[in-house]
Parts: sequence; C-alpha cells; structure tokens
Amino acid sequence: MASPSPSILAASALACAAACAGAAALTGANPPEPRFMAPEAVTVAAFSAPDAVRLAKQATFGPTPALIAHMSQVGPAAWLDEQFALAESGYQDIIADRNIPQSYCRSKSGSEAASCKATYWQSTPVAMRFYADAVMRNDQLRQRVALALAELLVVANQDIDSTAGLATYHQLLLDNAFGNYRDLLKAVTLNAYMGDYLDMAGSTKASPNENYARELMQLFSIGEDMLNLDGSLKLDVQGAPIPAYTGSDVHEVARALTGWTCVRFPGASPKDKSRIDYTQRMIRSASDYDADAKSFLGVTVPAQASQSASVDAVVDAVFNHPNVAPYVSKSLIQQLVVSNPTPAYVERVARVFADNGQGVRGSMRSVVRAILLDPEARGDRLAAIEGKVKEPVLLAVALARAIGMTTDGYVFTTRDGVMGQPLWSAPSVFNFYPPDYPLPLGAPLVSPPSKLLTTAADVGRHNLVYDWTVEGDADRKEFKPHTQSATGTKPLWADWEAAAADVEGLMDRVNLLLLGNGMSATQRSAMRGALTAIVNKNATTQARQRAQTALYLAASSPLFQVDR
Amino acid sequence: MTLSRRDIVRLAAGSGAAAALAQLGRSASMAQTRAPYRAMVGVFLFGGADGWNMIVPTDDRYAGYAAGRGPQLALAREALKPLAGTPFGLHPSLAPLRPLWDKGSLNVVLNTGVLFQPLDRRLYLSRPDLRPLHLMSHSGQQHVWQGLQARAMNVDGFMGRINDRMDGAPAISPLISVAGSSLALLGQRSSPLVLPPTGSIARHGYDASSRDAVVVARQAGLTAFADADSQGPVTRLTGLGFSRAYDQAFAANAILTRTATVDAYFKDAKGVMLNTDIAAQLLRIARLIEARSALGHARQIFFAGHGSYDTHAGQVDETDNTAGRQANLYAALAAALAAFQKAMEALGVAADVTTFTLSDFGRVYRGNAQAGSDHAWGSNHLVIGGGLAGARIHGRYPDTTFRGPEDSSDDGRWIPSIALEEYLGGVVQRFGVPAADMPYVFPNWASWNGGGRGPVPLFG
Repeated sequence: MASPSPSILAASALACAAACAGAAALTGANPPEPRFMAPEAVTVAAFSAPDAVRLAKQATFGPTPALIAHMSQVGPAAWLDEQFALAESGYQDIIADRNIPQSYCRSKSGSEAASCKATYWQSTPVAMRFYADAVMRNDQLRQRVALALAELLVVANQDIDSTAGLATYHQLLLDNAFGNYRDLLKAVTLNAYMGDYLDMAGSTKASPNENYARELMQLFSIGEDMLNLDGSLKLDVQGAPIPAYTGSDVHEVARALTGWTCVRFPGASPKDKSRIDYTQRMIRSASDYDADAKSFLGVTVPAQASQSASVDAVVDAVFNHPNVAPYVSKSLIQQLVVSNPTPAYVERVARVFADNGQGVRGSMRSVVRAILLDPEARGDRLAAIEGKVKEPVLLAVALARAIGMTTDGYVFTTRDGVMGQPLWSAPSVFNFYPPDYPLPLGAPLVSPPSKLLTTAADVGRHNLVYDWTVEGDADRKEFKPHTQSATGTKPLWADWEAAAADVEGLMDRVNLLLLGNGMSATQRSAMRGALTAIVNKNATTQARQRAQTALYLAASSPLFQVDR
Repeated sequence: MTLSRRDIVRLAAGSGAAAALAQLGRSASMAQTRAPYRAMVGVFLFGGADGWNMIVPTDDRYAGYAAGRGPQLALAREALKPLAGTPFGLHPSLAPLRPLWDKGSLNVVLNTGVLFQPLDRRLYLSRPDLRPLHLMSHSGQQHVWQGLQARAMNVDGFMGRINDRMDGAPAISPLISVAGSSLALLGQRSSPLVLPPTGSIARHGYDASSRDAVVVARQAGLTAFADADSQGPVTRLTGLGFSRAYDQAFAANAILTRTATVDAYFKDAKGVMLNTDIAAQLLRIARLIEARSALGHARQIFFAGHGSYDTHAGQVDETDNTAGRQANLYAALAAALAAFQKAMEALGVAADVTTFTLSDFGRVYRGNAQAGSDHAWGSNHLVIGGGLAGARIHGRYPDTTFRGPEDSSDDGRWIPSIALEEYLGGVVQRFGVPAADMPYVFPNWASWNGGGRGPVPLFG
C-alpha cells in the first residue's frame, strides 16, 4: 500500500471537514444524526456497508449510521487518511486546570477533602473525558490507537495523587498515536507519572531500582522471548524459547536510567512528596546518576556519558531490537482487529514497522494503516481464528454509539468496574488482561479480554445492555447529571422511534449496525416475535420499545459481544 | 441423576432449590458424597510478596539476615513475633496468626518456588536449559505458579485441572474464585464460578417463569441470539461462557444473598466488620463453605487474591521498618486469615479446609535505595488448617551468602529448595486428588515424586 502524498492527505482532511460536518458530534452538542442509509443506497460497491461496519469495529469505538454512510462513500484508505489528520480529543483543559500540589487536598478534611481528591487526585475526570470523547468526537482512530497504547504502556492511578498527571500521560499517547514509536518510548520513559508509577523517579547509583527497566523491556518493547518477524517464538536446538534479555540487562538498563526525579512546584524542596508537578517531564538529579560504563542488549555506554546519552542509548537499544517490530505489531493487531492473527499477518505489519517503505522504522501511522488495510482485516474472515471479545470499555461505548448518546462520560465510570475494567485503574502495569490469556476451553487460541469474563462480569455486561436499552428511556436515573455542573447522558431515541415504525426496517437497521448483517433467519424470526409482541396505544412509545428490544437482543448476543 | 442444566436452574428458582441441589451427587472419585468434606483455599499474593520479611530467623542466622537485607529492609530482632519452639519469628503485622501456630494450625514452607529440576548456583549458571522460563517476570511466574509447567506454555491451571476430574453435572461449579478469572481456574473441560467478593449477581429483566407475553417472546429471542454455534471458536466459546455464567449466577444468587453464621467472626477487636478486600473475599468463601450442602458440594476449591505486593519502593516506611506498604498488606491478610480460621472452627470443618498462600516470586534479599526490593525467585509460604500435623516449619532457610551456593545472582535471589509441586502436592493430596490424577494436575509430577523428593509432609 503506497503512502499518500501530503497533498492528498490535506485534500482528504478538507473533504472530511466538509463531509463530516453534518455528522459532527461534539461535546455538549446534540449531533444531528443523518437518517440511516440502507445498504442498497451505498454507491461504492467495493466497500459495502457491512464492510464499513467491520472497519468501524476495528478502527473506531463503534459504528453509527452516519459513520457507516461516510465510510462506505469514501472507502477505507481515504477514511484512514481523514482520520490521521484529525486531533479533536484531549485533556489539555484538565491538565491546565487541575495541576496543583498534592498538599492542597491533604490540608482539607471530611467531605471537602473527598471532593478535592475527586477533582484533583483521582482518575474519574480523565476517564469521563475519555468516554465522552470516545462516544462523540470524530478523531476515532486516534482515540482507538491511544487506548491500544494505554493498554500496552500502562500506568494506573494507584498511589499517585494527580489527575493532571494522569491526563498528561494520556495526552501524550493521543499526541503520539500516529507518530514514531521511538519518540513514544522516549516520552514515556521521561514522563513523571510513569516515573513515579514504576519507580524510575528516585532510582540511584547506590541502589538502582529495576522496576521500570524490566517492564520497559518485557512489556513496552521487546517481550520476554526472542521472536521471529511473524511473532512466533524463536526456539533453541532443544525446542525451548530463548530469553530476549538477561537479569544483567535489566540491572544495567536500570543503572543507565538512574538520576531522574520529578519536578516540584516552586518553593518546594527537591524531595518534597506532596508538591510534585506530574505535568512536566522528569529532570536530572545529577548526584544520583551512575556515570560508570554500562552494557546491555549488546550496547555499551561509555563511562562519563551524559544522563541524556544514557537514556537515548537505552531507548535506541530497545527500539532497534529485532523483537520490537513483531511485538508491537502483534499487540496492536490484537487490540484493533483480532486476538489470533496469523503469523503472516503479523509479519506483513512487522515489516512495515521495521521500514515503512521510506526508510523509517517505527512509523505508527504506517503500522496502523498496514494493520487496517491488511487482507486479514479487510478480506474474507478465517473461521478458525476470527474474533476478538469486546473488552468492557469497547462494549459500553459501542452500545452508546449504536443507540446514539450524548454524554459527559460519568455513567460509564460507574459501569466499567463491575465489568472488570475500571478505566485508568488497571491492577498493575500488566494491564487488565495479558496478551496470552487462553480462550477458555479453546486453547491454544488466546482471548486476552476473556480474562475479564467472570461470572459476575458476564452478568454485568448483560445488565448494561438491558438497562441502557429496554430500561434506557431518557429519564433513566443513572443518566441524570451526577453533580450540579455535570451534563449527564442523553439517549437519542427520536431517530429510533422514526426507524421503528416499520418492524422489518428496524431489524435491517439493527442487523447492519450491530451485527454487520450477521443475523440468522432463526434469529430474525425470533426477533420479529419479540418485537411484534410489544403493543402500545401510543405509536411512538411502541416504536421506541420495539427498538429498545431489538437493540437488547442484538447487543447482548455473542455476535455483538465478539467483534469479527 | 438425569437432571439437565435447565432443570437444575428451574429447580433452584423454587423453594425446593436447596434439596434439589443437595442431591446432586458427583460421579468422579473426588466428589463422592460419602468421602469426608474437603476444601482448599489458595490466596494468591499478587505482585511477588517478600517472604524474606514474612518469617525471619532469630538465632545466629539473624546477623546474616540483618546484613543481607541491610538497614533499608531488615526488621529488628525484637520486633519479630517468635514462633514457639523454633528459631524463627513472624513479621509483627502477622501477629494475629500466632495463635494458630500455638494450636498447630499454621505451618511455614521455606524457600519454595518454581523449579524444573533441582538446582544450585553452579548448575543454574552452567545449564540455562534447566532453568524455568521467564524467571523474575510477574506474568511468566504467575503463569507457572498457576499452571505448573516451568518450561512450557501454560494454557490451563492446576485448580481447573482438578475441577476437570471432579466434573459431574454441576449446577454450580465447585471451583470458585472471588478474585477474578485467572489461569489457575482454567480447566480443559470445566468452567469455574467467578464471583465478586461482595454483592449478588442478578440478571436484570430475566424471569424464566414469566407468563407475560412480551417477556416470554423477548426471552425466546435471547435463546435464539445466544446461539453462536456456526461462528468461529472465539465467538462460539464466548457465547457458551455467557450461557454457563447466566445459569450459574442464577443458581448461586439465592445462596449469595443469604446471611450466614460465619459473618460474626469477620470482626475486629472492637466488633467492627473487617473492611479490607481480602477479608471480604474470605468471608464470601466462608459463606460458601457454610452453604456447601445447599450448593451440593462435597469438595470445594477456592481462589482468592490479595495485593499488590510488588514493593519496589516504600516496602517499609522510611523511619520505621515495621511499618509501610508490606506491613499494611500483611496486617490485612493476617486479620482476614485469622477470622477465616475461626469461622472454620465454628463450622466444625477446620480440619477439612486447607488455606495456603501463592505468589509470583520472592524478592531480592538486598534492599534497594527506595526502601523496596526487586524481583527474585524462592520465597516462604504459609499453610493454615486444623488438619495439619502440628506446628511445623518445612524445608530449609537458605545460605544467605551473596554469590553463595543458593544465590542465582549477586544480591540474594535464592534458588528454591522445595519445588512448587512438592509444596502444592501436600495440599492437593489432602484435598483428595488421587495418585493417578497427580500427573494430570501437575504435569511435571514425575520429576518431584520419588528419588528423595515428594510432597511436603504437611499432614504427617
């Protein structure tokens, strides 16, 4: 796939600016959702509406009628170019408004302290913004890639009392989503929130802390074992995996990363733990730096090399390690497209990671394009391996987008924990689930999000769907603003009330939008029975209730809960 | 017994639920109702608990301990809680466990961990092919602790494999987690019940006995849309998982909402309910043990989790080594374990229930600059049960010489002297896993059974 020239990109962006304006769904505005475009009305035969639904499941937070219409019109490659140019979402105002010393809330007590912490310490404001943007903003691909990165380069808000710092980290991921992976690794390495989370901040020559060094290699770049370009394990003569790094590498990298500390607010002492400014990059603490020679991953940093040179040497060593291309490529494929990609798919993407055709290694834009335009993403499904369980975040947002909601994001933060994924509060740097979690009863296939499918979470997923559809009228209590200044959540049933006047048309709409036209004849018949059983003398009420039941049946089914 | 799953679910909804469930005999050898009731409770200390500050030698080895751990981490000898009759003391935060020791209901297993073959430093350094894979990696070692394959991919876990061999036609799985899904629970045939630590799990809007035409038609729709048999395995098996979860939740919910006599034991000295996550988990387990007859369980396996114990920094307080993150975790753990054991005694099943700890790995002996410790290997673990053969410390405290014969590094990452299979083998045999099933439950069992190796004699 040739890279488009800059001028084509610009033209695409302009085209979208015009074409997408009608579908724009920005915070606080009620987006005018264009009427649904039936499959036969789609003019570009090469990219059918079900194809667009599939792409929307991979590259966005879920299909909407407007999105499917637009994707069908422009086709996947042009749509990607539009998306690469968009940057609407973000946390800049949170970063600016909430950056205060931790001591501020520590000086308060009782309900004042609780409210202070909710505003300035906790993750909820960042999670709310994430959900609101995911439901409503148009830069969907940037956000999806940023979420994929957030689950690869994990921080969590345990023990770090800074909403602004957490927002800064996630802004960094959004900003670098289509950049270069080396820049991302460097930025993450020197980010203060990460520095505190994995203890690189404060690591000293006398006693280097191995936490960040180890996870940088194991989780962020290389992985534990040597990989072939197709992501499969390299094996030694006895058939055993080959470790990608040694304990000595961990220790030496830790030494190279000594001597960094977080910025303090003006007037605070350099060791003050209650006045840390997490919005700024870490700074040098020269006396803690180990300036002796270090050797790791086949690289030697000479004695007296500067601290910056040491960091660059570490970042370069991991970035240039042969594992990075298959490791990161496979991780992103698993996040965006399918849990069990073929080795050939991984290799095709890894080759683009290694060199995007213009001599650039680590171009995220090229890698994302390669993932989403690959025959395995766009062509025929491979029955034996297809499928990726929607993790809770994707389930909730996809449902909201399918229904058509505007939201301040709060209601999602009260639901994600029950389903096992309290956003930005992963239990550890290992994320909510590991990339190799076995498909229960289906090994050796893997299904990472299945780690979250507990008995209780399965019921929680069902209840989310039931509550927001069958019981999801606009006056639902949990949709109301949770504070005086909040705006709450509004389901936009009017469009569904219009669409549901005709039961067959309603089923067509749900079948395409939620199931990519995957409904069987038996299912359609059962749905028809369920819908026609609903009779109300108020035609609008009857239509809404039928739409809600149609959405419930489709969205609670494995056909929607698993993307394919 | 020819009840179908749906029959069971329907029965469970009615007033005869308990009676119907109690009749569900199990066909496999481990599940015969005539056998004595047995339960095992694994408490996974996530993140890699520092067992080297869990139990500390108080004899002349203390000097080596104090020097090795350094002022960053070492506990003062007088702060330790001596275990009567031994030259060891517990972390002061574990004091609530000392009464269990005094009555012979607490054992300690020293320096156990993941091994593929017995190793010393020389062999470890010269034979990479004998090392367990992914040493000192959280994910890698959690997988081995749960899957028990030190040099192969782990795709299922020892608890799930035991559950495979107990499989009858259960309405409610006898393998129950209150700490989320985990590899340990995955069987090759069976599915666990995975409950939240608190609360019930009612499925909204679903009523199998409804006669409302709208509800009946909607639920017929649900049945049609649950069918993913023509899809690929990821979709099909996920759909199967949903169906099993709905059935199990429905059957279990009546029991989850009951109060129980064991609640009275989960209180602190002032009579206030313990409010930690681990206490909530162990309370739920105690309730499920109390309800074992109603659940139809002749044997039960439980998985609980506690942590994070990944104390790279702030493991101890800067000014007080007996305080800090680890001390807080151990205090919560000890209070919950002590309460749980009192509840078991009150139920009269203390001798039938074995509680034991698991963890990613031990931590480096030498402390780091941030009053923490990094990832290591062998560690010390606790076993609690009324059936133990007396208060005992099993195994050997390592030679704590850096670069010595038991160090895999130069800062005290001790090579285990007791393999995981030997440690857990003692627990699961008490539970009732027959000898013939041991190689299925522990794939490397042959390496650790015979030739002077074998299960730790926890029960005599």
